[in-house]
Amino acid sequence: MTATSPRRSSRRFNAGTLWRGLAGVAGLVALLEIVSRSGIIGTTYLPPFDAVLWRALQLWVDPEFLANVGQTMLTYLLGMLIAAVIAIPLGIVFGLVNPVYRAARALIELIRPIPPVALIPLVLLALGNGLNMKLVIVVFAAVWPIMFNTLYGVHDVDPYQKEMGRSFGLGRFAIIRRIVIPAASPFIMTGVRIASSIALIVVITVELISPGGAKGIGAYIAAQQLSYQDSAITYLAVLAATITSGVLGLVVNLVIGWAERRWFAWDTTAKDGV
Amino acid sequence: MTAPSTRALASRALRASAQQPRWRRALVSTAYFVVPLVVVIGLWQLGTMLNKNPFFPQPFAIIANLWKLLFGSEKAVQDVFVGEFLMTVGRMALGFAIGAAWGVVIGTLIGLNRNAREVVSPIVEFLRSIPATATLPLFIILLGGGDDMRVVFIAYGVSWFVLINTAAGVGSIHKTMLDVGKAFRVSPARRLFAIILPAALPKIFAGLRIASTAALLLAIVSEFMLALNGIGFSLVVAQSKFNLLTMWSWMLALAILGLIVNSLLEFIERRVLAWHRLSRQKV
Repeated sequence: MTATSPRRSSRRFNAGTLWRGLAGVAGLVALLEIVSRSGIIGTTYLPPFDAVLWRALQLWVDPEFLANVGQTMLTYLLGMLIAAVIAIPLGIVFGLVNPVYRAARALIELIRPIPPVALIPLVLLALGNGLNMKLVIVVFAAVWPIMFNTLYGVHDVDPYQKEMGRSFGLGRFAIIRRIVIPAASPFIMTGVRIASSIALIVVITVELISPGGAKGIGAYIAAQQLSYQDSAITYLAVLAATITSGVLGLVVNLVIGWAERRWFAWDTTAKDGV
Repeated sequence: MTAPSTRALASRALRASAQQPRWRRALVSTAYFVVPLVVVIGLWQLGTMLNKNPFFPQPFAIIANLWKLLFGSEKAVQDVFVGEFLMTVGRMALGFAIGAAWGVVIGTLIGLNRNAREVVSPIVEFLRSIPATATLPLFIILLGGGDDMRVVFIAYGVSWFVLINTAAGVGSIHKTMLDVGKAFRVSPARRLFAIILPAALPKIFAGLRIASTAALLLAIVSEFMLALNGIGFSLVVAQSKFNLLTMWSWMLALAILGLIVNSLLEFIERRVLAWHRLSRQKV
């Protein structure tokens, strides 16, 4: 049992793991609290930890902050959706028709290494500061992992299964729909998981760099950085907002990881198909 | 074993292609690489010549402009190449090196001890969920707007990928391998360098590859804010001057830079991990 599914057994929580994890968190919190209270580092740079936590909690009832979270999540979700709609069909075509992939490869290899954030100044000029601009950059960032993982998934489909479909009289598209896509879906999900964390980073980066028009958590953090005279308060506000963005990232990661295990746990190769 | 007809056909085709002379196969793969590029660039060139659009400059103009930017300025020869391009490369390389070293060391410590792993994993999981770029304002407040801040910021963002992969690689080593080391009374230091790290190397390299892409991204982002030079800074300056041609040129430079970094890492990986692939093949 454990030999065949080491991953899954390690995923299962046991009480010891949980307690040790909690002990680690509690230890860190205590350490931060003691160090920050003692004033070794200076309260400007390390504000009392309970103040940071309190500030971070207060953010969740601040309507202005929540509106920014909503904007970030909207951009993230729309971007992921558009990226999936572009990348999955492309990946399937590239995976099934090798000459097309070989022909497209030179271009892909040249476009892919461009950091998505480098597009910001150009797209900002072309589309102005708003949702469209953010979406273009997020989609550019999220397309690659989904496309390549779809491609690997399609390559990984058992040829005998396609053979069988053909002998049962399935047409080309029926084979894609009934055999190729289901078999490749764990890989596609892996691509979505990788793309998701990249997309969130890119959304927040875009908001951070082009504040003013665009709203979102990144813009909120940037505004906090500029809005106070007192450096201690500024620092506290920025720290709290940054930690809160981590909570958001954690929630997104957990949801996607949960969905992957819930719906695609039947496939053991999915976890290694990065 | 009755192989289906397509299998037989495929294997025959494979053999046929293997029998093809080498130069011919090389020619085909070069053609696959060159022809689409030439076609797309040609179409783009043609389209932009017929229908002028300020947002899409002509590709040849982009290439020529990049060359001029990097090597052809009359006032100071190679000033831009050293002052902008190499500055970004330097920050990226230094940040990557520090972050990778830190990630490998901490990742190994975490990976070796199961209890330690369970204690710190929620903390690590949370810290790495903070989008690295969102921490840039924090780094600016803490360390100011100088180059040391940029390098630390890149190192911080890069280290998570390496740390998590190293911890996973070290943590998943088969217990038998460690026991063999103990049984032969190999010293702990040698066990670390001769058994544990080599076994974790494939995973570490997977982390390094992701980290190198991240390093370039973080370097650019860090140069968007409060920088005085670098590719990211040049992009912002070009944006403020509405100089779209220069922005496209810098993007091309970034694509080439990314390509070089990728191939370099792939080359090192193939060298260092050659034994790994061989051992896999034999099994």
